[in-house]
Amino acid sequence: MSSIRIKAKERAGVVDVKALMKHPMETGLRKDKDGNKIPPHFIQEVVAESNGAVVFSGSFNTSISKDPYLSFQYGGKKGDKLTLSWTDNQGQKDAETVDVG
Amino acid sequence: MFRSPKSGALTVAFLCFASPALVAGPLGIGETATPEMIAGWDIDIRPDGRGLPPGEGSVADGEGLYEAKCASCHGLFGEGAGRWPILAGGEGTLDTAHPEKTVGSYWPYASTLWDYIHRAMPYPAPQSLTDDEVYAITAYVLYLNDIVEDDFVLNQETFQEVKMPNEPNFYIDDRPDVVNTRCMSQCADASTFEIVTTINGVTPTAHFKEDSGVAANHYGNEAATAEATKVALSDAAVAGKSIYAKACNVCHGAGVAGAPVTGDAAAWSERIAQGMATLNKHAIEGYVGKNGVMPAKGGNMALADEEVANAVAFMVESSQ
Ligand code: HEC
Ligand code: HEC
Repeated sequence: MSSIRIKAKERAGVVDVKALMKHPMETGLRKDKDGNKIPPHFIQEVVAESNGAVVFSGSFNTSISKDPYLSFQYGGKKGDKLTLSWTDNQGQKDAETVDVG
Repeated sequence: MFRSPKSGALTVAFLCFASPALVAGPLGIGETATPEMIAGWDIDIRPDGRGLPPGEGSVADGEGLYEAKCASCHGLFGEGAGRWPILAGGEGTLDTAHPEKTVGSYWPYASTLWDYIHRAMPYPAPQSLTDDEVYAITAYVLYLNDIVEDDFVLNQETFQEVKMPNEPNFYIDDRPDVVNTRCMSQCADASTFEIVTTINGVTPTAHFKEDSGVAANHYGNEAATAEATKVALSDAAVAGKSIYAKACNVCHGAGVAGAPVTGDAAAWSERIAQGMATLNKHAIEGYVGKNGVMPAKGGNMALADEEVANAVAFMVESSQ
């Protein structure tokens, strides 16, 4: 199951995107119950593309909480393919594509 | 059997009130509940699915319903808007310093989800959903928790396939010292017991104390209500106060879902300028405004138009 959930709805030429990315967003500063540091594990890059063109991109870091929630708008239309992807500091990636409704 | 004249008279009195065909039990009062009456109350759903009515609903159907009826409080993804309860996420946090108990991380049985939504949600209008709607919304909340796939359809049969991740952590307490067998003979003398320790400070009480500078109730609008009671209210507004508390405060108390906060004169001045007729119409029939959706009668269709108008009077007079 994808780690990303997206809602993308168009109204008057503006696509309203709301997305939730499941990710631990570990800062590397927390310790586990035995006192060992939990290694950093956080999303570094988030990109949204509409029909292949970048409409949003962002550099995330450890100041962003677990399971980041993202909301943004861009000019577009119903039926466009919107792809949201993330890459984290451990090189893991995920992506999800939805049709704008 | 001995009977004093007094108890004889009582028996006669009872028989006069209750028609003999309906009397039940040794006292001869009340009436035997019919199967239909019992069905109205017997709505609980057991972990094994007993009690689930016929019907079904898919994740896809649930999505639209959830967004219309639940997301304003619980968030589009179950992440919880503002301070409203979160419904999804929290996996793996139960044994940490900040456990997040959600449907997915904590609840042992899906039956509770169906039952709870059917019984108590949406918060402003409990028991307003059809059985099919409850099936669909339940399926969708399970999907938000990654417990079912997006093509899942929930009904009496497929319910059996749903396994909640935290179920194994609910079991009969197996610690040896928790079986409390009552002592019946040669027991210790309670007067010799000594209290070794007590636990204090577990329940936060600061916000209930006067002068603590913290709102005195959980709705966060104490200032507004206190102010409101100082104003001389009209008869309609006085009558509307309890209706307001019951049906409107849930949104208008703290400004949930974009609702103008009662007592916030700035938020109300333009609205009040529209005139009472418009305000009443909007409150009774519902409307979609710039800030959000005002559901008809606040979602409480059992209210009479006049009761809603009284609640509006209370809100308006408290917000001038
Ligand atoms: C006006 C806000 C509001 C709306 C709308 C609403 N809820 Fe709730 N919901 C609440 C509140 C408040 C609670 C906590 C109630 C309590 O603990 O007594 C709650 C609790 C719940 C819970 C239990 C959460 C837990 O872990 O204990 C579930 C499940 C739930 N709601 C589902 C729904 C569904 C499904 C809908 C739509 C049909 C819905 N709610 C609509 C406010 C709302
Ligand atoms: C589920 C949340 C909710 C509940 C419950 C609720 N309201 Fe509202 N109400 C709103 C929202 C949101 C608005 C603002 C809509 C806008 O103008 O964008 C609103 C606006 C209003 C207005 C202003 C209308 C106008 O034209 O400006 C009145 C009056 C009102 N509500 C009365 C009531 C009464 C009376 C009740 C209880 C019977 C009630 N509301 C219950 C959400 C709610």
